[in-house]
Amino acid sequence: MPRFWLVSTVLGAVAALATAGSVLFQGAEWEWRSSFLVGGEFLYLRLDGVSALFLALLAVLGGAGAVYASEYWPDKAHPRSATAGRAWWNVMLASLAFVLVTSNGLHFLLAWEAFTFAGYFLITLDRHRREVRAAGWLYLAASHAGTVCLFAFFAAVASHNGSWELGPMREHTDLAPFFWLALFGFGLKSGMFPLHIWLPSAHASAPSHVSALFSGVTIKIGIYGLVRFTGWMPVPDIAGWVIAALGVASAVLGVAFALGQHDLKRLLAYHSVENIGIILIGLGFAVVATATDGGDWGRLALAGGLLHIWNHGLFKALLFLGAGSVLHATGTREMSRLGGLWRAMPWTASLFALGAAAISGLPPLNGFVSEWLVYLGLFDGAIARGPIAWPLVLAAILLGVTGALALACFIKVCGVVFLGAPRSRAVTHAHESGLAMRAPMLVLAAGCVAIGLAPVVFWPAVATAVGAWRPGWADAATIVPDSLFALSWAHGVLAAVGLAAATWLWQRTRRGLQRAVTWDCGYEMPSATMQYTAGSFAGIITGWFAWILRPQRHAHCPVDVFPAAAHFEEHTPETVLEHVVEPAGAAVMRLATLVRRLQHGRLNAYLLYLIVGVAALAAVVLLEDRP
Amino acid sequence: MIAALEIILRLAGWLVLAPLLPGIINKVKAWVAGRRGPPVLQLYFDLARLWRKSVVLSTLASPGFVAGPAIAWVAIAGAALLLPLGPAGAVVGFRGDVLLLIYLLALARFGTAWAALETGSAFEGMGSAREVSYAVLAEAALITAVLSLSVHSGSITLETMLTPAAGPGAVLLAGGLFTVLLAENCRVPFDDPNTHLELTMIHEAMILDHSGPPLAVILHGAAVKLLLFAVLLTEAVLPVGAMPPLAGTGALLAGVLAVTVGVGVVESLLARLAFRRVPLLLTTAFLLCLFALLVAWKGGPA
Repeated sequence: MPRFWLVSTVLGAVAALATAGSVLFQGAEWEWRSSFLVGGEFLYLRLDGVSALFLALLAVLGGAGAVYASEYWPDKAHPRSATAGRAWWNVMLASLAFVLVTSNGLHFLLAWEAFTFAGYFLITLDRHRREVRAAGWLYLAASHAGTVCLFAFFAAVASHNGSWELGPMREHTDLAPFFWLALFGFGLKSGMFPLHIWLPSAHASAPSHVSALFSGVTIKIGIYGLVRFTGWMPVPDIAGWVIAALGVASAVLGVAFALGQHDLKRLLAYHSVENIGIILIGLGFAVVATATDGGDWGRLALAGGLLHIWNHGLFKALLFLGAGSVLHATGTREMSRLGGLWRAMPWTASLFALGAAAISGLPPLNGFVSEWLVYLGLFDGAIARGPIAWPLVLAAILLGVTGALALACFIKVCGVVFLGAPRSRAVTHAHESGLAMRAPMLVLAAGCVAIGLAPVVFWPAVATAVGAWRPGWADAATIVPDSLFALSWAHGVLAAVGLAAATWLWQRTRRGLQRAVTWDCGYEMPSATMQYTAGSFAGIITGWFAWILRPQRHAHCPVDVFPAAAHFEEHTPETVLEHVVEPAGAAVMRLATLVRRLQHGRLNAYLLYLIVGVAALAAVVLLEDRP
Repeated sequence: MIAALEIILRLAGWLVLAPLLPGIINKVKAWVAGRRGPPVLQLYFDLARLWRKSVVLSTLASPGFVAGPAIAWVAIAGAALLLPLGPAGAVVGFRGDVLLLIYLLALARFGTAWAALETGSAFEGMGSAREVSYAVLAEAALITAVLSLSVHSGSITLETMLTPAAGPGAVLLAGGLFTVLLAENCRVPFDDPNTHLELTMIHEAMILDHSGPPLAVILHGAAVKLLLFAVLLTEAVLPVGAMPPLAGTGALLAGVLAVTVGVGVVESLLARLAFRRVPLLLTTAFLLCLFALLVAWKGGPA
């Protein structure tokens, strides 16, 4: 039965990928209306460039995650939840795909709810742990806060149009204010700062293949909503600026929070916030471009943002699967207990390193290509020296800062988890994962390398999506390819020469090689506990960001000539959740408690309320009547 | 064919000339201190000696310990190839190549910092952490500098960006880029290439465990990176690309020499900063570049 499930899921994924590919590369749009009613509405499905872009990513990650799950979450180890996991996985994939193709607001909401619930059950597959249940509840509550806004949004649009059907409606300029509802609802799902409160704990507590799907696709569905409805609907003039500003904030603060984490998967989750930020920078400035001069730079920024959706999906899923392999092998996500894993898990270590380089935006991998396109857009806009150029300059600088911070963070992760000496016994018993867990990682890594080395091949797909976003921009295909072609060449040469040089130097090193203990300034017996830790590695940068990270320190410093036990602990809290949302929630509860005092069961007081109420009404009426 | 030949010739030029710079710096420092100092060609001798030696490797190190420096070296050499050389222009140039240059330097940083963490030594961890942390500020300054050149010239291709140089903001940009050069190449006042006290170093602390050919590759890569920054700084300040061939070449060489001597003089006259002051100096560099950008902005088209 599991094998049948696996084969059919992978076949479905391949079919979806082929469909999406035919739309993206041949430009054929696909439309279908049903002759029967579902929930009182005719089905109206449409697959255009924007939908196909996301559908392709969904297909790749859905298939890869299913293969991974067959070894990572097998029936033998999880007799109860494995079956449920498979069922909800398919509900999730189907409802996500339906969200992407439906053009009916009501069906959109139904599918949206379906995948939210499927997501909840997938996160809480391992529900006997308290933290998992808490993460699931937080996710469910936050998702529904967003869904409320989406209900309002779609209902408002439907009542305005007289129909639930969706489509381009840019001429209805009075719909523009509803954009803010969509921004909140979709933004919450996408995990942009400061609406990311649910994201870190959900991603960290879910099984790793689920984390990969969440980070790779589900949060992108929030982005899909924003891309879709900024393309179809009129937006307020300021909308682009707001999206871009949220993007910049998400990018910089996401990576800053990531640096403060000690939990491997929580750290990766915060990097999703960062990458969502990069995508939003591209989208936001594209909206700005359409609202102002409509220059080519907006197309480049949008193309970069859209390509980054694919790229982030690929390398973040790769990293989450890698983290899952580490968790599977060692039983811990705590980085301070890991170290030196490359020896036991060479495949996982190398693939994770590739993903780390890709997410840091390093050439010749895919992360650089999309960030490069976003940069081109920002630079082009800046050198036009228009009135809007200053924010572009600022965004470009902060994008650079984000890249450097991400690099620091991933050096930290790779170094602490895979290099050096094992920090605990958990590592000494680690083992490499089997083929079913390595194969999906290899596929994703191949995707990262392919987009990095041959971006020209994938450009037509992105150009189709850009054209579908705004019909006037259908000629986007013509504006980059020359330099993109040059970049492909440069990447190819770099990869070939880099590999050759590394191999050659390794061969040269192996001649007469001696092994010795690490040089620690003459110290003869360096031990694993003397290694630099994740916290100390990130200490300089988390110090710079202490104003928002608010790290909690518990220090017991050594004193006197013969110090007794010493102790130091630092923990970065969920600042937005603990310092903003929870106090606000507590205030609401206090207010509610106060109001409840009015309700005490004493009849004479109730009569008094009635009299006071009637008197007040009478006063209002009398005062109104007077000319 | 001719293009391939030119690429090889240029690459050879970069790789062969680069080790001269540390030699010149050391000579300048010796002069200022009244010593005779090591020969200018000392680094060449060192590299040759290291290349002949065999390697002692930490028991903890993976092949990445060697691959990291190799990839870093390739990245730096690639970045150097992207730079135009005064009147001769660039051999490969395309829109946005300047970003590739910046990110190739980041790739080099990834390689060396990765290799440093291979051995599990606290000192190397420390050096690696400092390197990647200060690079954040240096990168902000570098991108701002590039933006100011872009805005001034209206282009994002290195060759056309650097041909008119920075114009009126040149002095500000020179100050900012020179500081970035000192930080990125681990010179005084950010780092002291002479010290052997591991606690106070950045770059030297990262390579404590490297020996033989991998160390040679790291040292040579560092020299090429220094030359790269010297050329970039010269071309950003002087419009060498717009000069007649002979004058341009002369100006480029003189500029690189002046930068190198400047590094030596700074190193002789200043002490290394306390680490908590490093971010302040780098922020100053960023502000200088930002003011250069402002000048380029208001200065009108090139």
